[in-house]
Amino acid sequence: MTARPFSEHDIHLSLDGELPAEEREEFEAWLQQHPEKRALRDRFAADREKLRAALAGVVDEPLPERLARFGTARPSQRRAWSWRRIAAGVALFVAGGGLGYLAGSDALSPAGAHAAQIAERAIEAHVIYSAEKLHVVEVGADEKDHLVGWLSKRVGTTLVAPDFSQSGYELVGGRLLPADARAAAMFIYQDAAGARISLYVVRDSGAADTGFKLREELGACALYWLDGGYGYALTATNMPGETLRTLAGSAYQQMLAAQRG
Amino acid sequence: MDEKRTAIVAEIPHMRRYARALLRDRDAADDLVQDSLERAFSRLDHWREGENPRRWLFTIMHHLFIDHMRRDSRRRVAAEVPIEAAHGVATPPAQLDGLQSREVLDALHAIAPERRAALVLVALEGYSYAEAANTLGIPTGTLMSRISRGREDLRARLDDSSRRRTIRVVET
Repeated sequence: MTARPFSEHDIHLSLDGELPAEEREEFEAWLQQHPEKRALRDRFAADREKLRAALAGVVDEPLPERLARFGTARPSQRRAWSWRRIAAGVALFVAGGGLGYLAGSDALSPAGAHAAQIAERAIEAHVIYSAEKLHVVEVGADEKDHLVGWLSKRVGTTLVAPDFSQSGYELVGGRLLPADARAAAMFIYQDAAGARISLYVVRDSGAADTGFKLREELGACALYWLDGGYGYALTATNMPGETLRTLAGSAYQQMLAAQRG
Repeated sequence: MDEKRTAIVAEIPHMRRYARALLRDRDAADDLVQDSLERAFSRLDHWREGENPRRWLFTIMHHLFIDHMRRDSRRRVAAEVPIEAAHGVATPPAQLDGLQSREVLDALHAIAPERRAALVLVALEGYSYAEAANTLGIPTGTLMSRISRGREDLRARLDDSSRRRTIRVVET
């Protein structure tokens, strides 16, 4: 008996238990002859296992009260909010899917997505400019007042170039960067060994304040946060998380003091 | 009547899993389950004798999910949430699962909702093509193409997420 010609379509049938029993043996033989198809089948099967494992625990979770009460009394209380929340999730995976961009789980919230995007830009800028030998900044630390005044004006808030000298980092200077149609500021610092960190600031009036979040990408690490309508990211490479957090905390305090003063 | 109630209540854990596969956020997923249960209890007489309770409930859930998604896609901008609600959308950090779980769920939720629903019913819930097509109210051919595209999308997203890993750190 000659086997019918199989294709990728049959990989799905096979995984889903829809391949007729009498074809299964021939299909397996076909996979043996086509290693790339077999690898694809194995990969799909592995993805499915991951999916099952990720959701397996849900059935054993204790029910939240609002669901558990269906088992006892007639539920009467209705919520007004549910579909708005779902709509929010939907809007974001529509947006996220389109951009190929959905990072941490918190990217599901608008605030999370905003903030993550800031971190992404900050990391890109850091990777590009901190590697520069000659032209790392546009305006150097020798013109610090001018630099800070210029960037404050362009970004639209009172900025300071935070002082990180206690941690061994001295200001090298700063840059103006584009962020969609807005202006972003970047301050770059360097320690005695030449290691560079950068602080990125951009206006982001659309999102709520957040705590510090960490994003790792392109070999760099950014600690980022939203505060008072602005997004901030402190980016470094090869820096212990604790140090990064200390520096970010210090930047946050110094920015806050400047804006209140 | 009580028998029906018992049978429905026994399905709640599975309804939650299906909802969680459709919607990333735990509260939004439980909202979908709750709305589906309310609808189910208000239409108990629609449940035909001998019909599998899970299939009936999943059909209700899917209709609610799709209705609102359609409505939402027509006014995507209006679906932006106010800030207070946005806070409710984020999954609390304490409930985050392992990195691998997060990655696969993020990937799942990044693929188109129709493909996601088709893939989940068959690959996760073990529905046959005929059952899933019936639940989703689509022809089997459409179901099959959604499943194969869904699988491809999931694979691509997973490849993408292993390239760019995000670690979330709790607020200091």
